[in-house]
Amino acid sequence: MPLEINVNGEARAVQGDPMTPLLTVLREEMHLTGAKLSCGEGFCGACTVLLDGTPAMSCLMPVGLVGERAVLTIEGLAPAGSELVPVQKAMLDNDAVQCGMCFPGMVLTLSALLQQNDSPSEDMIREALVGNICRCTGYERIVAAALEASRATVADAQEVSR
Amino acid sequence: MTAPVIGSDLPRRDAEDKLRGRTRYAMDSGRPGMLHAALRRADQPAARIRRLDVTAARRMPGVRAVVTAADAPGRYGIAVADHPLFAIDTIRYNGEPVAAVAAETLEQARAAADAILLELEPLPANLTMAESLASGAREIHPDWRDYQELVAGGSRGGNVAWEATVIRGDTDAAFARDDVTVVESEFVAGRQNQAPLEPRACVATYEDGRFVIETSTQVPWAVRNATANLLGVNVADVRVTAPAVGGGFGLKFEMALEPFAALLARASGRPVKLVNRREEEMLTALCRENADIRIRSAVSRDGEIVAREATVLMDCGAYGGEQPFLTTMTAHTLGANYRLGAVRLVSRAVYTNTAPTGAFRACNGAYNTFALERHTDEICAAIGMDPVEFRRRNVVGDGSMGATGQIFEGDVLGPMLERMETLRAGAAGGLPAGDRRLFGRATVVGTWFVFVGPSAATVNINPDGSVTLVTAGVEIGSGSMMQALPQIVSHSLGVPPESVVVRAADTDSAGFDIGVGGGRTTVSLGAASTAACDDARRKLLEVAADLLETAPEDLVLEDGHVGIVGVPDQRISIAQVAAHAQLVTGPISGSGSFTGRGTGSLPGCAAGHMIEALDIPIFTVHECDVAVDADTGHVQILAYRVVQDVGRAINPRAIHGQIQGGVAQGLGYALHEEVTIGADGCIRQRGLETYRLPLAQDVVPVQAELFEGAPSIGPLGAKGAGEIPILNVAAAVACAVANATGKRVRQIPLTPPRVLGLITGMEPQPNLSHVGSSWRDNVLDDPDELLARSPVHDTATPS
Amino acid sequence: MSTVTNERLFIPQTLREALDLLAEDSAITPIAGGTWLMRAPLRGEPLPGRCLAIGAIDELAGVQIEEATVTIGAGVSHAALARAVDGVPDLRGLGQAAMKSANPAIREVATVGGNLATGGFPAADLVPALLAMDAEVIVAHRDREERVPMTRFLEREPRVPPGSLLTGVRVARRRQSSGHARLTMRTAGDYAVAIVSLCLGLQEGGTITEARVAVGSVEPTPRRWTELEQALAGSRADAATAAQAADSLVAGFNGRDGVEAPGWYRTRVLPTLVRRAFEAALPRTA
Ligand SMILES: Cc1cc2nc3c(=O)[nH]c(=O)nc-3n(C[C@H](O)[C@H](O)[C@H](O)COP(=O)(O)OP(=O)(O)OC[C@H]3O[C@@H](n4cnc5c(N)ncnc54)[C@H](O)[C@@H]3O)c2cc1C
Ligand code: FES
Ligand code: FES
Repeated sequence: MPLEINVNGEARAVQGDPMTPLLTVLREEMHLTGAKLSCGEGFCGACTVLLDGTPAMSCLMPVGLVGERAVLTIEGLAPAGSELVPVQKAMLDNDAVQCGMCFPGMVLTLSALLQQNDSPSEDMIREALVGNICRCTGYERIVAAALEASRATVADAQEVSR
Repeated sequence: MTAPVIGSDLPRRDAEDKLRGRTRYAMDSGRPGMLHAALRRADQPAARIRRLDVTAARRMPGVRAVVTAADAPGRYGIAVADHPLFAIDTIRYNGEPVAAVAAETLEQARAAADAILLELEPLPANLTMAESLASGAREIHPDWRDYQELVAGGSRGGNVAWEATVIRGDTDAAFARDDVTVVESEFVAGRQNQAPLEPRACVATYEDGRFVIETSTQVPWAVRNATANLLGVNVADVRVTAPAVGGGFGLKFEMALEPFAALLARASGRPVKLVNRREEEMLTALCRENADIRIRSAVSRDGEIVAREATVLMDCGAYGGEQPFLTTMTAHTLGANYRLGAVRLVSRAVYTNTAPTGAFRACNGAYNTFALERHTDEICAAIGMDPVEFRRRNVVGDGSMGATGQIFEGDVLGPMLERMETLRAGAAGGLPAGDRRLFGRATVVGTWFVFVGPSAATVNINPDGSVTLVTAGVEIGSGSMMQALPQIVSHSLGVPPESVVVRAADTDSAGFDIGVGGGRTTVSLGAASTAACDDARRKLLEVAADLLETAPEDLVLEDGHVGIVGVPDQRISIAQVAAHAQLVTGPISGSGSFTGRGTGSLPGCAAGHMIEALDIPIFTVHECDVAVDADTGHVQILAYRVVQDVGRAINPRAIHGQIQGGVAQGLGYALHEEVTIGADGCIRQRGLETYRLPLAQDVVPVQAELFEGAPSIGPLGAKGAGEIPILNVAAAVACAVANATGKRVRQIPLTPPRVLGLITGMEPQPNLSHVGSSWRDNVLDDPDELLARSPVHDTATPS
Repeated sequence: MSTVTNERLFIPQTLREALDLLAEDSAITPIAGGTWLMRAPLRGEPLPGRCLAIGAIDELAGVQIEEATVTIGAGVSHAALARAVDGVPDLRGLGQAAMKSANPAIREVATVGGNLATGGFPAADLVPALLAMDAEVIVAHRDREERVPMTRFLEREPRVPPGSLLTGVRVARRRQSSGHARLTMRTAGDYAVAIVSLCLGLQEGGTITEARVAVGSVEPTPRRWTELEQALAGSRADAATAAQAADSLVAGFNGRDGVEAPGWYRTRVLPTLVRRAFEAALPRTA
C-alpha cells in the first residue's frame, strides 16, 4: 500500500521507504527545498516543518510516522501569490535576513509560537528558538521581528474585536 | 528630489524569496539525469597507501563513475602548490579524500565509496605543532623543496610551510635597557569551524568540452583556476557560477568539492551533485587555525612600548592552503594598535597531520587581537597603569608608524575610545545585590584592514532605464551584493536602486575577481562598479547632450533622468537616452576595474609578507561586561558595546546587522565553540551536538556606534564592515573574564570547564616550550644573517 | 488491524498486536519518536531493518494522575509529560526534567519510553528524574508484565529485552518536594554534562525525613547518590547545607571524560547542582 501524506493541504503519494526522513521526501521527491538539510541531527532547525501546527525536525521524522498529521512547509505557509504572514513581513521590515538558510525554519517556529500565544515575551521567543540556529545574524532582528509581529497581530485582533 | 541613497537603509531584494523558502542554493540544485556523488576518505592521520582498489566499487549497483588520484595528478595551493586533490601515495590527515564515486542515488554512491578497498600502513603522526617542530620530527612533506612556489619570499623548511618576519629596529638593545619592565605572555587559541548552515555543495556538468560548475563559493575565479590546474585543462575550459550562498565566513574562500564533481561529470557524461554531510563539514572544514603565541614587551615606566618581540605559530594542518598568506597578518594585527619602538615578529604556518585550516572572518586577527589585548592588560598590571589610560596614550594616531613602517593617517582610535566612554555612560558597573557571581569589564582595541585587490565590473544601461551590474561577486549573506553595490550604482548613475539588477556571479560573463571576503566587496567591487559607472555615464551624457543640444558638462543624472544644470524642467529619462543610444552609438555599457594601491613597508622590514602594509586600515573598539559563575565556570555576557570605524556608512542598517552577527560568532569563538583533536587525528566534534554554536539565548543585543570620517581610498570613503565585527570579541571577553576572576586568561575558548579550571587552579597553563622566548629561537634562517640583511632603521622611539 | 506500511514499518493499533509482532519477529525494533533511533547512522550504526511504531497504541499514550500513583505511558512525549504534570507539586522535578531537555521541537516528539529504553545514553534527563522518584518501569511481554524498579532496570542489558515493550512507568505519590537541575554548556539546547534530580520527604518544620538523589550524565549510567541521601536524612532542608554535604562526598563519583566536558568537571559541579536542585524543589514561598 503506497504511503500518502498531507503536505500543504494536499494529499501526496510517497514513493519510497517509510523510514526515509520526511525531509528527504519533501526535498527530493516533492521538490520542496525550503526546508534544508543542515545537521541531520535535530540541533539546527533548518529542516523545521509544522505537523498539525507544531514545529518538528523533519530530518529525524520517518515519513511513515507522519500519519494523518498535516505537514506544513515554508512553501505552504504563505503560498505563491499570497501575502507574507506577519512574522515574515516583520523580518522583511527589520532587514533580518542575511544568508537566509535558517529562515524557513525560523519563520515556521515563530509563526507556530505566535499561533499559540499572541504576545510572547522576549524570553519566550528566545526559548522557542533554542532548536533554530542562525549563524549569520546574531538573532537580534529575528527576535525583534517576532515581537513586532506579535504586536501587529494583537493590534489587528483588537481592531477586529472593536 | 529623492533622498540620498548613500547612507540609507535600502532593503534587500533577496529577502522575500529567502523568507518564502524559494531561494535555491547550490545544495538545492537539481538537474534531469543528475547523479549523486560521495567521497571516500582516509581514516588515519598519517599513512602510506598500500593499496587502493576500486574495482568492486565500480561494479556496485547504480555506480556510473569512480575517480582517483590517477585522474587528477596536479597540486594546488595559494603560496605553495603542496595539495593534491586526492591523496597520492601518502595520507596526511584523517579525512583526506582518496576516491570519489558518482551513482544514481546518494545511498548507492555512499555504499560504493565504502566498498572501495583501502589498505594503509600507518606512519608516525604529528598531531600538534609542538610535535611537528620537535627535533627529529618526521617531515609531513618530505618533498617540500620540489613544490612549486606560487609566491616568492617566505622561508620554508621541514614542517614550517611558510615563515614571515618583521624586523624594525634593535629589540635586543631595548630589552637590555635597565629602565624598562619586560612583560612576557603566552597564549593558545583553538580552532573555530565556520559552520555556515549551507554545507559546501556543487553541481558539475561537462558541456561542449568544458566543465560547468554551479557551486556554493565565495571565490568563483579561484575555483575556476584551481580546478583547471588540478584537472590539467585550460582555465578557459572551466566555467563557474555561484547562486546565493548559504553562509561562507571564509570556509568557501578556497576551492572545495568542485574538481571532484567535475571529474565525475566528465567520466559519467551526466550532471553530478556533491554535497558534504555535516560530519564531513565538521571534520574537514577549513577552520580558523589554532595558534600558539608568545609575546614579550619592554615598557617604560610611563607606559611607552620600547620594544616588542612576538612569535605566532599557526597550525595549517596537512597542507598550507591560506595559511602562508595569513602569516602576513600577524604584522598588521599583533603588530598593530599601539605605537611601538623596535619590533621583531615571526609568524609561521606549521604543518601537522590534521585537517587543513583556512580563512575565517578576521582570519589570524581574532586570536592575535586576543593575545595582544590580554598581553596589554598584563603590561598594565605590571606597571600599574589603568588599561584604558594605557590605550589612550599608546594607540596609533595620525603620523604613527605601524609595525612594518607604514605611516598611519588620521587620529581614529583615540576619538573612538572617547566615543566608547559616552556609549558606556549609564551601564551598570556591577551585578545586582545578591548575585554571587564575579563581575568583569574590559575595553579593547583592534586593527583590521580591507583586503583590497583586483575586481572588475561592467554595467549595461538598458533601454528601459534599468541598469545591469555584472561582476563575479557573490551574495554570501552579508547583503553587499543586494544593498551596497546597487546603492553605489544608483548613486553614480542617478537611477533608483530598485532598477539596478545585480547579475549573479558567472566567470563566463564577469571579469576576474579575487573573491567575496576580507571585507572587500563594498570596497573593491564597489570601486570597480563606480569606475564602470563613470565610463557608462560618460557615454550616456554624450548621447544625452546630443539629444538636449547642450554640452555634456552641463548635464546631471538624477532620479532616472538626465537634466540640464539650472534648467529643472528640461530633462529626459535615462531610458529614452539608452533607447536612443541603441540606434545611434549602439547600447551603452561601461566597464571598470580596481585594485589596491599596494602601500609598501619600510624597505627591508617585512620578509615573506604578501601584504606589506595596509591600504585601508580599519579600527574598532569593543567593550564587554561579564558575570562569571565561580561554581561552574559559566561566563554570561551582560552587555556588549562596539564603536566601529566604517569610513562612510553606505547602508548603516546593514552594517549594524553585520556587527550583531559578527559579535555573535565572536562570542561563540570566545566561549563555546571548541574543536579538539583526538589521538586518531580526527576532530572530536563531529556534529552540532558537540560543536556548540551560539543560540538565541546565548547572545545579547550589541550596542553599536558607527564612527565615520576616517580616511579611506574606498568608493565614497567606505571601508569594509563585515569582517571586523568578530575581530575583538575573544579579546574583550577574555580580558573581562581575567578582570572578573583575577586570573591570567591565556587560552580560548573559555568553556565552563576551562574557566572553572582557571579559578580552581585545576587547568594546566599552556605549555609553549616549543616556542623559544626570544624571537631568535623561532626563525628558520640564521637570525644574525636576517638582521644583517634588514637595513638599520632609526625607528626605536615611538612617534 | 495494524497498518503495515511495507515490510519496513509496522504501525500496530493495540498493545496486543504489538506484542504479537514482537514475539514473532525477533528482528523488529520499536520506534517511538525516532529522535534517537534516526541518528543511528551518525553513530556509525545501521538503521534497523524493520521497525514497529508505538505511536498509534492507545494504551501507551496517556498520563494518569491518581490519588496514590501516577502512570505515564511510554509513548508520552517530553512536552506532553511536562504539560500533564504542570502544577502537580510532588512531580515538579519530573516536569522540570521533561521541560528543560533538548529543544522545543524535539521535546514534542521524543518519548518517555525512548528516553528510558536507550542504553549508552548517560545524559538522559528523565532517567535521573524517575530514579529519584523511585519509579517502576512496566515492561510487557506477550504473556506477562514485569514491574522493574528503576535501579534494577538501568542495570539490565538490554534494558528492554527483545520481544518485549516498555509500556510505561509508575510513580507512587508521596508528600514530597522534587527538583531537577541540569548543567549545560550553553544556556540551553545541549545535553546536560551533569544532572542532579532529587525528591525530599519533609516534616512540618522543614526536616528531611527521606531524601532520594539521582545523578545523571556524570558516570556512564545514572545512579542514586546513596551516601548523600543518608547524610541528608534528618537534616534541615537547606540548599547551602546540602551543597556542603555533597561537596564532601563527590569523591565517590568517577566522572566520564567526554567531548563536551572532562570527568573532573562533571563531579566538581555536583555540589552546585545539588544546591540548584534543592532550590528548584523548594522555591521560596514568598
Ligand atoms: C537535538 C536533540 C537534543 C536532545 N537533548 C536531550 C536532552 O537534553 N535530554 C534527554 O534526555 N534527551 C535528549 N535527546 C535524546 C533523545 O533522543 C530523547 O530524549 C529520547 O531518549 C528519545 O525518545 P524517542 O521517542 O525519540 O526514541 P526513539 O528514537 O524512537 O527510540 C530510542 C530507543 O528506544 C527504543 N524504544 C523506544 N520506545 C520504546 C518502547 N516503548 N519500548 C522499548 N523500546 C523502546 C528504540 O528501539 C530505540 O532503541 C535529544 C535528542 C535530540 C535529537
Ligand atoms: S537538519 Fe534537521 S535539525 Fe538540523
Ligand atoms: S541568515 Fe544565515 S543562518 Fe540565519
